[in-house]
Amino acid sequence: MNRVEKLAEQIFEEYKDYGVDKKEIIEKLKKLLVEFRVPENEALRTIRNYIIREYGAPATIRRERITKIEEIREPNRWVTVKAKVIQLWESSSPSIAQVGLIGDETGHIRFLVWTKAKKQPVEEGKSYIFRNVVVDDFGGVLRLNVTKISEIEEIGEDVEVKPPEDVSEEVEVVGALVAIQQNSGLIQRCGVEGCSRVIKMGKCPEHGKTQPKDDLRIKGVLDDGYRTYEVIINEDGVKALTGIDLEKAKKIAGETLDRNAVLIELKKMLLGKYLRVVGTATPRYLVARHVEFFRPDIRKEVEKVRALMEEI
Amino acid sequence: MTVFLKREVARRVFAKELMSSTYTLRDDSEKSPLYVLTPLGLKCNRVFIIGVLTEKEERGEDGNIYRIRIVDQTGSFIGYVGKYQPEAYEALEDIDTLTLVALTAKVRVFEGDTRKFVTLRPETISIADPESRDYWVIETAIQTLERIREMEKGESETAKLAMEIYNPDLEEYKRAVKEAVERMMEDYGELEVEEEILEGEEEEEEFEFDEEDISFEEEEIDLTELLED
Repeated sequence: MNRVEKLAEQIFEEYKDYGVDKKEIIEKLKKLLVEFRVPENEALRTIRNYIIREYGAPATIRRERITKIEEIREPNRWVTVKAKVIQLWESSSPSIAQVGLIGDETGHIRFLVWTKAKKQPVEEGKSYIFRNVVVDDFGGVLRLNVTKISEIEEIGEDVEVKPPEDVSEEVEVVGALVAIQQNSGLIQRCGVEGCSRVIKMGKCPEHGKTQPKDDLRIKGVLDDGYRTYEVIINEDGVKALTGIDLEKAKKIAGETLDRNAVLIELKKMLLGKYLRVVGTATPRYLVARHVEFFRPDIRKEVEKVRALMEEI
Repeated sequence: MTVFLKREVARRVFAKELMSSTYTLRDDSEKSPLYVLTPLGLKCNRVFIIGVLTEKEERGEDGNIYRIRIVDQTGSFIGYVGKYQPEAYEALEDIDTLTLVALTAKVRVFEGDTRKFVTLRPETISIADPESRDYWVIETAIQTLERIREMEKGESETAKLAMEIYNPDLEEYKRAVKEAVERMMEDYGELEVEEEILEGEEEEEEFEFDEEDISFEEEEIDLTELLED
């Protein structure tokens, strides 16, 4: 069954009691999705509204299309999710009423409620349907935005949440890069298809001597004074920070006749610098997907000191 | 199988607090590193610091050890960098004094004839920018205030121990933090803190490094010890 048929089936199931014609639904859906390239949720809305109008089906039957959190992969989508509030964090700005993490059985995502939305606050541990929330991308992290036109409805149901250990968690860390390990810089990986292990002493631990491929990466330690993260920054990240990409790294190594010269250069540019890393945290590594030099707003940061000073 | 050793966190601590430390302790575990207990109850074995490199002198028989002084908003840290820390040593060779530097360092405690004193053994050292220094001051201020709060509560083991050993004047530490932050904020042109800055200047003498406190530097110490891990 293709996607159009699947969606048509879904709608047909909802409205079959009202004499709708499955063929007609498929045709219209095809037109909207294939010919006009309308987003799926818009196409579904159009069809439902058509059925309500033409067949006199009650509007309330409209079953919501609840998006699973793992399906949320790109910004600028409007979605409705059913989720439990896992954690609420301190809001960093008066324009944000609430901020935190929600989850369903498929994953977790950050959410924030804008003050202007004027919503009843949500509570940790309770489950809600978040209607018409829009996905945005905040420095590489997807978030659900509750705005004025969104709705939050508390539900009696206790939404099951995917246990944290099963989630390769999206995190954002600001810390100082306090160490860069030796197997960083211009490295070689095993050339065997699907292996890519790092070559040590000229050999792949699995395949021995192979035709190696060059790669550029940093394995280092990010430290925020409370804990450490072993961070891996790939070629894109290294380039974003230093302007050195694989080609340039090879050139440096060629000119100095020393592959290690790349590492020395990277250390000079990056050690002791505060970085902001967004990435996937596994129990061992923080794999950076987005990395930049952290540019603090000192005036804002100092407010935290003053607030703490008042408190004690 | 690879054994994952837990890496010690690089703590954020001002010179005033760290350099006043005299007490060391270990965890219960057999492989515990030696920690320094600060007057505010921080157990630390590694620090991350951003400050001004004000002195860099060659010491040791062949001049193969640098003795460095790093100044922050509250006082100064003393460190020794030998060739056994090639990364820090080589980096330091290229850095002149009166440069803002970031360093990650192990904390060491030595027993002089009259008292114990803290020195640093840098692992990495690099040139830093003023913006990072400012953020470091803020981070360190926050983490110091959090420790003061723990000391006031007096519930945690290390807080109790620190209270017993040092009986620190918490108000004095609060003032030092406030001064450090407000002085840094002068660069950001905050008018409302002007008065406080004046106050701070009057008090500054209090936070000047007391000559007696650093007299240990004149003591002959066995520098080779510094290089052992």
